Amino acid sequence: MPYSHPEYLVDTEWVANHLTDPTIRIIESDEDPLLYPMGHIQGAVQVDWFSTLQHPLRRDFVTKEQFEEICSKLGITNNMIVVFYGDKSNWFACYALWLFQYYGHTNVKIMDGGRIKWEQEKRPLVKEVPSYVRSTYRAKEADKSIRAFRDEVLKHSNAKKPLVDVRSLKEFTGEMLHMPNYPQEGATRGGHIPGAVSIPWSQAMNEADATFKTPEELAALYKGKNIKADGEVIAYCRIGERSSLTWFVLKYLLGYPNVKNYDGSWTEWGNLVDAPIEK
Amino acid sequence: MSLPKKLQEIVDDFASLSREEKIETLIAYAESLPPLPERFAEERSKMEPIPECMTPVFLFGEKQTDGGIIFHFDIPPQSPTVQGLACILATGLNGCKPEEILAIPADFYLPMNLQEAITQQRINGFMGVLAHMKQAAVNLMEK
Repeated sequence: MPYSHPEYLVDTEWVANHLTDPTIRIIESDEDPLLYPMGHIQGAVQVDWFSTLQHPLRRDFVTKEQFEEICSKLGITNNMIVVFYGDKSNWFACYALWLFQYYGHTNVKIMDGGRIKWEQEKRPLVKEVPSYVRSTYRAKEADKSIRAFRDEVLKHSNAKKPLVDVRSLKEFTGEMLHMPNYPQEGATRGGHIPGAVSIPWSQAMNEADATFKTPEELAALYKGKNIKADGEVIAYCRIGERSSLTWFVLKYLLGYPNVKNYDGSWTEWGNLVDAPIEK
Repeated sequence: MSLPKKLQEIVDDFASLSREEKIETLIAYAESLPPLPERFAEERSKMEPIPECMTPVFLFGEKQTDGGIIFHFDIPPQSPTVQGLACILATGLNGCKPEEILAIPADFYLPMNLQEAITQQRINGFMGVLAHMKQAAVNLMEK
């Protein structure tokens, strides 16, 4: 059994063979913003989840116009293939890919294994920051079908529709407010959204090289927890980055037609007055 | 109360740097963080492994004959921001007496304007490292 949409995934070898392909833009998106300046794949540009993609004032992503400006500055054209990779099992690469999809750039791919696999294979990293000729990028209206907001999540929870909590188990049970060993900030209450099932994001990954598990393993993982293709699924975590990875797995590797990422996630829900919580 | 001289110098330096210069300086600190001395290997192996792929920060304080403390870190190279921030604290505080370390105010970093270069989440992590250094200082005071 193959992945449902294998065209959304490329391996490190494919990227190594397309470094100078003018129809492709490679984007590095990391949790740690110093990794790119210290060394990146030749020709890759940096898109930081915070300083590039977040709205400078509100808790939201950049606007459509701001997104157009980001892409134009990076020389990305509307018909380019955009390939994402990053650190930490591609969390933020998936997050950036999700936002590109949100603004209508559908020709996108993840480099399976991300920085971890590229480095394991001792492939070259360079410090030179490329500059590309400015383009005139036109984004589409935001695709709300892949993004869930709090009111919708509440209705979803009340209707007992499938919700996937992809945080670590201790965050799900409310014992911790953040991943182990990270500062415990960001929410005033611990626990999970009523009805959510716990399927930590890491269960979809091969620990050794940060690649995705096989289609059979992924299908068994989610179906085994009653998260099925025919339902409307919402995934969430703490700020929406780990759940972008699960969103990518469900949407493209398993082909679930109706999956949303709730980017407000626990840092919104765990602070929201009157929101129901289960422990 | 004033900060230890070296830490004050680092804070003042950062305050005057542009965003790009802050990133370059953080990289320079990350690259200058020395590896954990071999003599800590046994103690390190007894510490709990961290689940998933977080940034495991291991920190050791060592009391010198004059009562000052030297800090040593073990942080993976995949997390250069954490390495850089830890190196700033080690550079700024190495050799200080436990009382001086405990007196560092939790908001000492505000004039550095770190939020231009890194997220608040990272800055909170920075404060987490300082909290662990203070705990190490307390433990060494009792020895």
